[in-house]
Parts: sequence; structure tokens; C-alpha cells
Amino acid sequence: MEEQPKTEAAPAAEQPKPAQRGGGTAAWLKALVVLYALALVAAGIAIGKADIARKNRKDMDISELSSIGKKKKPAVGVVEIYGAISQGASSRSWERGSGQIAKRIQALSEDKDVKAILLDINSPGGSVGSVQEIYSEIKRAKAATKKPFVARFGEVSASGGYYVASACDLIVAQPGTITGSIGVIFSVSNFDGLMKKVGVKNEAIKSGKFKDIGSPTREMTADERKLLQGLIDDSYEQFVAAVAEGRRMPVEKVKPLADGRIYSGRQARELGLVDRMGDLQDALDAAGELAGIGHNPRVVRESAPFDQLMSLVDSKLQPFGPASMAQKIEAAPSLEYRWYGN
Amino acid sequence: MDPLKTLTALIDRPESLSGADRPEGLGRTGMLGYAVGTLSLFAFMRMQSAVPPGVFSFLAVLLFVLAANFFFAGIIHLFMDLTGVQGSASRLFLAFGCSDLLLALLLPLGLLARGGLLNAFVGLCLGFLLVICARVALVRRLYPVSKNKALLSVWLPYFGLSAVFFSAFIYGLAWSIWLLM
Repeated sequence: MEEQPKTEAAPAAEQPKPAQRGGGTAAWLKALVVLYALALVAAGIAIGKADIARKNRKDMDISELSSIGKKKKPAVGVVEIYGAISQGASSRSWERGSGQIAKRIQALSEDKDVKAILLDINSPGGSVGSVQEIYSEIKRAKAATKKPFVARFGEVSASGGYYVASACDLIVAQPGTITGSIGVIFSVSNFDGLMKKVGVKNEAIKSGKFKDIGSPTREMTADERKLLQGLIDDSYEQFVAAVAEGRRMPVEKVKPLADGRIYSGRQARELGLVDRMGDLQDALDAAGELAGIGHNPRVVRESAPFDQLMSLVDSKLQPFGPASMAQKIEAAPSLEYRWYGN
Repeated sequence: MDPLKTLTALIDRPESLSGADRPEGLGRTGMLGYAVGTLSLFAFMRMQSAVPPGVFSFLAVLLFVLAANFFFAGIIHLFMDLTGVQGSASRLFLAFGCSDLLLALLLPLGLLARGGLLNAFVGLCLGFLLVICARVALVRRLYPVSKNKALLSVWLPYFGLSAVFFSAFIYGLAWSIWLLM
């Protein structure tokens, strides 16, 4: 009987202990919440200050970063124009179209360390618009900066490749370089016979008689031929005028050379289409001389190793992608300053 | 239930975590823990100008934290299940959320780092070390395992991910060499 209250009293005595402990935990948790709120306010102020400091800081130029520790020396900028020249619809930076080449020329012309620009051309030409895009950028850069431009021909620099080079102050070619091919071409295949054989017929509903000009599904009409010839003649006149202006030759002297024929580098020199014979180093030396920085100048090339790696990966993976096939199938006829001999 | 009360209950009676019934308010407290932890981490990184500002930036970090913890809790539970230990994966995920409340410490550490009194990386490591220690303790509460096994299970997803990234890096390196050859 005496022990009964004792056993009931024991838990009763212990009861307040966890309650007190819980109360204590809750109290310091609340204190932590208050401290956290204060820290959050302080962090907000610190973030605000960091953002203001960041905004006020001058944007650092990546090119400045990459040149840290390097001795600044006058240089010759090299722009590579390899392969057929086209506008390029790809968003991939390593697939260089005429727009990207023009941008590169602009960047080099604005670079204070670059005293001359060398165009390393190995191209059979390309579409009229894209060739003229590069040409006009060279003219603009020359007018704005007075920097000398030198063109260097390697294996081939024909048609549009030569059009681009004609804007330069000096053209250096190998004796065996294939050049010339001054002219315009518009070619279209005619699948009419094949389609008749396999029983396929194409119907075109058009708003005007020339709307499907260049269609590969039928024979070209005389009117269409006349219209296209006019278009080609106009582009041809532009090409001849560009060569005459660039080479400082009368148009009458250029026209006989501009019948579409190709020349070797040596023949082109004799005809006044090329200034001197030489390799890449000779061209660099010539650019250095023109810029007044002497022989064997420092060379500024495109240093984009990531782009080069991606280009390599892309070229390896291309056979797996449908893009290359689609590009071939969807290729539409276009007006070109291009030599198809290679 | 008030998350403060749930936290108080968890701190005072941690054995309730492995009880037959899920502690009341654990879900809400766990998610609040993730939100507070992420906010602290985000503020810490903003102080170091390591992440862009904005609500979407914060939400992206929150989403990443939730996804990573969901994955980590799943891996740990799978490891426990494979080694014959019973427990609850959902409670583990929510308990991890509670442990993320410790990342609140990153705020004062970030302020110290801004003041140049502490290296920011050391501060970040300190915060994460604290969370790892808390998680080991929580795993031991949820699964009847030794301290070493709890430690191994908490580190396991990190080791696994490191192994995956290392293998991918080595393969990428070999592939690049093959491309160049």
C-alpha cells in the first residue's frame, strides 16, 4: 500500500524533464530562425553590393586575357578560305560560311597588332552572293584601315576564289596553281527523260511563266534561257569590273582573259592576273614588307582549338547524320562564280 | 503541424524517425529543409557571383538539389535493401531534407568569405561536411546499421557518380586520341 504512490509518483516526477528539454530545443530553434532571418538580410545586402561591383567592373576582353604574358608585336593576320564558298546555313561555328569569313576579316582589320592581312585561298569559288560578301568586306576593311591585303594561292584559286583575291593589293601564287576561270555558271540537270521512263509526272501551278525557272523536271524554254543568260551576263560584268578595278587593268584587257578558261600560276602572272610566284612564307614576307614590319612577321591565325576538335568530330560523325544526304538532295541550282573542274 | 514542433520532436526524440508511424509533419519539414538549404546555398553562391540572379536560377538549383537527393536516397535505400537491411526510402528522402537545414550555416560562412576572413571553398566544404555527418546519423536512425556501413552508404552515390564521370572522361580521352590517329 505504501509503495503504490511511490511507483505512480516516479513517472510523474520524470514527466516535466522531456517537456523542459523540448521547450529548450524549441527556444533555441526559434533563436536560430531569427538569426537565419538576420543572416538572410545581411546576405541580401552583400549580394546587392557584389552585383553593383560586378556591373561597375569593366568587361574584360578575352583576347586581352589570352595575350597576357605575351609580348605584343606587330603581326600579319591570316584568314583561311578553303573549299567551296557558300553562305552556310549551319549554326555550327566551325562550318565557316562567307559571313564568318567576313567577320574574321573585320576582326583582324580592327586588331591594332595586325598590320596586314593575308588571305590563304584554296577554293574553286562558290555562290555569287557569298563571294561578293567576302569581297565587299575586304574593300570596306581596306578603306577603313588602309591595311594591306595579300592573297596567297595554293592548289586552286579559281573563279570566286580569284574574285575575292582581286580585291587584294598583292597576289602570290605557286607556278602550278590553278587559277582564272573568270566567269559565271548556272547549271541545272534535266530529269525529264528519266521521269518519263519511271512514270513520274510533275505538275507546277505557277503565277508567272518564269516562276519555275530552272526546274529539273522539264526542258528549259527559249525565253527562260534568254532570261538566265541576261542574269549571267550581268554577274559576269560585275566579275570583270571587280577584276579590272582590283588589278588596275582596263575592262577591255580583262574581257579576253575572262572567257572561263583556267590558267596556271605562271601563265596568270604573265597575263597580269597574279603579281608574283611564291609559297606561303613568301606571301607572309610580302605582307610584312607591305605593312612595314619586315620579313618573317609574327602570324596571327585563328586559334580556336575547340572549334577544330568539333570540326574533326563532326567530320567523323557526318556519315551517320541525315544532314549531308538532305543537303545533297535539296541542292537547288544557283548562280555561281565557280570552277567545276576539280 | 508546425515544422518547428516537428524539428523539436525529431531532435528530442530521434528514435521516432524509425517508429511504426511516420513522424507528424515530416513531409512538410523535409521539403522546407530542402527549400531553406537551397536558399542558403544559392545565397552563398550569389555572394561569390557563381550563379546568375533571378527566380528561375534559384528554381533551377532547387530542382537540381531535389533531383540529386531523390537519386541519392534511392541509391542508399537500394544498397541497404540489397544488403538485407529494411527501412523506408521516403522517410530517408525527407530526413535528408531536414539535414539540409544545416546548410543555413552557409549564410554566415558566405558573409565571412565576402569579408575575406574565410576561403569560400573551405566554407562550402565545411557546410557539406556537416550535412554528411548529419546524414550518417540519420541513416543510422532509419536503418539498423553500423556507423561504418552508414558512412559507406552515404558516400556511395558520390563514389558511383565519380566513377561514371571518370570512366566517361577516360573514354572521351581515348576517343579523341582515336580521332586524331
